[in-house]
Amino acid sequence: MNIQETIKAINKMRADGVIERYAIGGAVGATFYLEPLATLDVDVFISLQLEPGKLIANPQPIFDYLKARGGQIEGEYIIVAGWPVQFLPVAGGLQEEALAQAVEKDVAGAPVRVFTAEHLAAIALQTGRAKDKARLLQFIEAGALDPERFQSIVSRHILQEAWNRFEQQFLKDRP
Amino acid sequence: MTFDLVKILQSKREFRQRLASRSIEEKLAMLDALRERALAIRPARSAAQSNSLHERPPPCRAEKKIRDDNE
Repeated sequence: MNIQETIKAINKMRADGVIERYAIGGAVGATFYLEPLATLDVDVFISLQLEPGKLIANPQPIFDYLKARGGQIEGEYIIVAGWPVQFLPVAGGLQEEALAQAVEKDVAGAPVRVFTAEHLAAIALQTGRAKDKARLLQFIEAGALDPERFQSIVSRHILQEAWNRFEQQFLKDRP
Repeated sequence: MTFDLVKILQSKREFRQRLASRSIEEKLAMLDALRERALAIRPARSAAQSNSLHERPPPCRAEKKIRDDNE
């Protein structure tokens, strides 16, 4: 089990033209900005091109490519270097923007595209499960967010109400 | 050692900051270790919590497969 090997495999997929743009999100993405966050899988956001005449993008080429290289498919996951990887087509304006503005980081000499801290935080706010709220708090407490940049994402993607609720619930009267 | 909650919380914050400032290679290696640990303890914990109130985890058939393989 080696997540760096997983990242290399994803880069190879891009080099081989199986995927175009990608960016790592979720807990693994957040680990680039925070302390390591325990997780069981790797979320890889991708843009899938529609085939002519089709309304739904087909992820089959990704599965075929990885299967041919020893990847095991398990439901919506494919195991790459021991890690279950979930390829998530970007859905909605926020994720599309996050993918477009993802930043390149260096992992032991290998490039990896990761969502910005502000986009990861905004996606957590939008998703809104308990663990997402906890993650958003971690970003805030770690001082990992550029407040102006985060606020502009919140406004642009109509998350102001959710942010107000979050502030009221978790940040009011904070020491 | 202290029982002063303020100091304890401050110490926890500092520890998290130290972890966050480690190199990404080190942090990814920690993710590998955390995942192995989580997989090792998860079946027992799930059984213990079956009657308690908890957020429904996302489906992870890969995890089940690994568990099945180990059993």
